[in-house]
Amino acid sequence: MGNGIIGKPIPRPSHDAKMQSYLPSIVAGIGVTVKHFFKNTKEIAFGQRNDPVLDAFEDGVTTISYPEQKRPYPERFRGVHRLTLREDGSPRCVACLCCSTACPAQCIHIVAGEYADADKKGWEKYPVSFVIDELRCIFCGYCVEACPCDAIRMDTGQHAVPYDSRDQFIYERGTLMSFSDPTGRQLTENPKDDPGLGHTPDRLKHH
Amino acid sequence: MVKFIAEYQVLIFALVKILIMLGFFLNLAPVLVFVERRQAALIQDRVGPNRAVIKLPGMILKGALATPALLAGLAIAALCFKVFPANPPETGVGRGFWMAELATLVLWSHALVLAGYVRVSEDAANPLEVALRDMRDPRWIFYTGGFLHLALAVLYGASSPANEAEVSKAFALGGPAALTLVLLMVGGYLGYRIPSGTVELRAAGLLHSIADALKFAFKEDFVPPKADKLLHSLAPLISLFPALVTYAIIPFGDSLCFGTTGGVLDVTKLADTASKIGACAEGQQAVSLQIADLNVGILYLFAMAGTGIIGAALAGWSSDNKWSLLGGLRAASQMVSYEVAMGLSLAGAFMIYGTPRLGEMVRWQAENTWGIFVQPLAFFLFFAAAIAEQKRTPFDAPEGESEIIAGYFVEYSSFKFAMFYTGEYIELVTSSALLVTIFLGGWTMPFLNRDAVHVAFGDTVLLHAQMSHLTATILGVGIFFGKVLSLSFFQIFIRWTLPRFRYDQIMAFGWKFMLPAALGNIVLTGLLVLGAGSAGPSVVSGLSLLADASRFVVIGASAFIAVKFARLLLSPVERERFTQSNVAARVGRIGRTPETPMQA
Repeated sequence: MGNGIIGKPIPRPSHDAKMQSYLPSIVAGIGVTVKHFFKNTKEIAFGQRNDPVLDAFEDGVTTISYPEQKRPYPERFRGVHRLTLREDGSPRCVACLCCSTACPAQCIHIVAGEYADADKKGWEKYPVSFVIDELRCIFCGYCVEACPCDAIRMDTGQHAVPYDSRDQFIYERGTLMSFSDPTGRQLTENPKDDPGLGHTPDRLKHH
Repeated sequence: MVKFIAEYQVLIFALVKILIMLGFFLNLAPVLVFVERRQAALIQDRVGPNRAVIKLPGMILKGALATPALLAGLAIAALCFKVFPANPPETGVGRGFWMAELATLVLWSHALVLAGYVRVSEDAANPLEVALRDMRDPRWIFYTGGFLHLALAVLYGASSPANEAEVSKAFALGGPAALTLVLLMVGGYLGYRIPSGTVELRAAGLLHSIADALKFAFKEDFVPPKADKLLHSLAPLISLFPALVTYAIIPFGDSLCFGTTGGVLDVTKLADTASKIGACAEGQQAVSLQIADLNVGILYLFAMAGTGIIGAALAGWSSDNKWSLLGGLRAASQMVSYEVAMGLSLAGAFMIYGTPRLGEMVRWQAENTWGIFVQPLAFFLFFAAAIAEQKRTPFDAPEGESEIIAGYFVEYSSFKFAMFYTGEYIELVTSSALLVTIFLGGWTMPFLNRDAVHVAFGDTVLLHAQMSHLTATILGVGIFFGKVLSLSFFQIFIRWTLPRFRYDQIMAFGWKFMLPAALGNIVLTGLLVLGAGSAGPSVVSGLSLLADASRFVVIGASAFIAVKFARLLLSPVERERFTQSNVAARVGRIGRTPETPMQA
């Protein structure tokens, strides 16, 4: 008490001849540069470049050269939306507007239409237009949770790529229907939620 | 034709020499650009320049690689056993030794290439390749090769009078036979193993810099509207000019000796041996491997390099741009400052060598010891000043992305920019060549005499292997270009290692450290030269022993660096795999990280 402030003693860097001449450190630094240059160039030239995710970190430069190398996204990564299809290639979406209602960013716009042969099909509504503004989207995934038919999913494993102009970020129905999950599947994983099928829960049958 | 050659041979020799030097310097520029950009890619984590590609049919590659080997093998067999038979064996023993060494080199280097190929491509076609694939560390091929080289040299050097006849016979017959066999084997195997489909020739990305140079020619040539049109176009020419003329005085090999017919040099009569460095026997004429042997020597180089300042300053002023003006001013002041230290740092070397001629400097070093041992401080001063002269990192104040953009060539595009760029890289090569010539023994290597490899300490001879005049000269030229190449690479590595100085630090370093140090070096060297000149014979013989020791130091250091380098290049690529993270587990299921084919 009363001794004033006591600082933590930090040893001063020594200014001896070895350090002041800089040469040993320069040589060591050049050694590191040389090592990385030749090793890395050799591995690129002969296709021996290490896998940045799987290979241990001791050897070489192990950072990922994006976009030549890509770190895969986790399985539950919420990527760009896709509209799942039925077996006949039509969208599973029944234009119930649940997703656009749930959307906090209000980036989904749907115009509903009606099939002429709705009785035969077992479902009557479909989206005439289904537009998502990927610039407004905050990728919260509420639309996927809100969908009763598993018609909209975010499992493409891709992020929205940069475009030249803003209107290219507005994905129309056709674009959304053309996407697939990373395995190339355009159908849904859960066909049980299809309102037209016999085993559909009653609450959806009279939708 | 013969008469024409005899008449204009001075001119023809000069043109050939210019072509050799120009070819080397202009080809090294894209190589260095490639190295530079690979480093940039490493730091910014890109794959780097590798996109330019030539798609070759496999048959052409097969022919291009296998045919020369097969032809050379047959030619050696024909020449050594029919045209120049080694009978009696003494005539062919030196030749046989070098051929045996060459055969060993070809054998282990190709075994390494094959091992690398099999380990990467994983298609081993025969038991030999399976063995190469499964060996734990391919570096053992390199070690075995080195051991074989040494064993051959020891065997050759250890021939005592008792067994000399047998050893001579074994080398005279065995050497050519081994080389023929190895070349035929390698050529045949190349033809058999290179895939026949299309082969993509990328040359590790070297083609990319050449493609870029071509691209420059087709870019828009922009001149700022208020620029001084004439000076703006003249500046790149002025800055490329010194780069293209300075290498004229750099000797790239020892002089070639030719016989004469009627007092005129005869190109067909190349001497078989030449014993003294830089001189020819009675009745022979020398062709020095130096474009111009000026008696002002290196002063010419300083005079020409000085004009580069004008190019930079003009470019900065004529562009009508504030950034480029600042860059031009910085470049001019920096180059003027370091020119002083650069010139003075060599004064000590002049005192010791006693001449400003570069060829004679190299000869002094061949007879005594490398300049770096007698002028160590001057070496570092000159090296630093040379880097500052080229305006490269850590002295790259004339350009600075965050301060003055690209400095004095902000307003240059298209081929004018390419001229600045080429000039910069040729200057780098020239400064490396100069350093090699003045401090690192030029085309000489310790123990490599004009006619033989002669390993000796004091009066004890450890190895003496005879060489023909042509072989020794070609070896010398190769050594010179190899040294320049390594030093140029080293300069690039300096750039990518050191952080840059502030502008005022550059000025302070130049005037307050380099200049006094260079002056001090002159005084010290003068005292030492006077002291050694008036010293007794014991001091002289002691110095000569020290010089002999320095040769062993050079050879030892070179061997150490070579082995270290080979160890690095040949280190196995198989790595330990681990799957710890969530993502890694997923990648493990896919097999590997998604990766586009190696296009970049």
